[in-house]
Amino acid sequence: MARPTLAGYDGSVPLVGAFACAHTPQLLLRPPTEDRALVLRVHAAFAEVRRRLGALGCDALAVIGGDHVEGFFLDAVPALAVFVGTEAAGEFGPYRYRLPVHEPLARALLEDGIERGFDLVYSQAVALDYAFYVPLHFTMPAPPVPIVPLYVNVYLPPQPTPRRCYAWGQALRAALDGRAERVALIASGGMSHFPGTDRYAAPDHAFDRQLLQALAQGRGAETARLTGAELDEAGNVELRTWITLLGAVGGARAEVLCYEPSWHHGNAVVAWSVGGG
Amino acid sequence: MEAHYVFPPAAAYPLNRCLYRLKSDAAFRDRFLADPEGAMAEAGLPPAAREPLRALDRDRLVALGAHPYLVFMAGLRLRMAREPEAFERF
Repeated sequence: MARPTLAGYDGSVPLVGAFACAHTPQLLLRPPTEDRALVLRVHAAFAEVRRRLGALGCDALAVIGGDHVEGFFLDAVPALAVFVGTEAAGEFGPYRYRLPVHEPLARALLEDGIERGFDLVYSQAVALDYAFYVPLHFTMPAPPVPIVPLYVNVYLPPQPTPRRCYAWGQALRAALDGRAERVALIASGGMSHFPGTDRYAAPDHAFDRQLLQALAQGRGAETARLTGAELDEAGNVELRTWITLLGAVGGARAEVLCYEPSWHHGNAVVAWSVGGG
Repeated sequence: MEAHYVFPPAAAYPLNRCLYRLKSDAAFRDRFLADPEGAMAEAGLPPAAREPLRALDRDRLVALGAHPYLVFMAGLRLRMAREPEAFERF
């Protein structure tokens, strides 16, 4: 068999890193109901992600976020969508943010996804929800890099199945591995919380811990077999963003940078080492 | 057991749209804070939803078809607008 030569190298760079981050709004705007020390411990884990993203020298961050009925209201509810604009903007309380988008990469992921059979919605103007902003507020390396927002419907039933999210993540990985940019993936969401329900003060931290243990053993593929009802029951409807990322990282073992259970939220920050890192 | 998040009934669209605007439309939120009756009339809210919305009575709003997350975040955004000094910014 002929050895690969430099001349045959197509310039592609495998995915360089993968992270999952909580986006709990109380981490950004802390009301008096929150344990300040806990919030600062999650910030420390975010700082570690920021340090690692800087060291990876990324050209772009592909961010998988669950829209909180912000970009997409009931007028049109896509299961999976890609933001393909020049910049993504939004607001959350006193925060106004505008983030440059890596348009060529966003368009390539959209076109590749369609070719692979994912009937993706795209938008050039949808508002960027705080689900995307909170992790980026704390983890964006300096100098900042452009993003690609990837939307997963998590709150408006019927949501995409875990199986479908995992398959979308596998397709994303295949597409990203064929690109010349150095790209890291960030999944935003979770873990257990029940906003707006009478279970808000009773998250399922046991579910979270069991799941993190499985992820640390490289058993992320098992999440594709969860049902939507199981995610809802465990306060983990947003885990769909993680499951998408897990499709991309395959059997890589998770490194849990923090798990901070608050009275209403399982705040997790997790890292995976992948091929190109 | 009923799921925590269910398909929002179409009949509740005006209520959910009003909650969405309280959450995401700062100008509408300001009008609601200044004149709740006027803002709810502007939003075409059915009379049965007006008192529960004024009181942000979650259980009654959800019973009317409101999405629980929208009730939650509309309430949080109203509180952030009313008492910005109660929140620490990072």
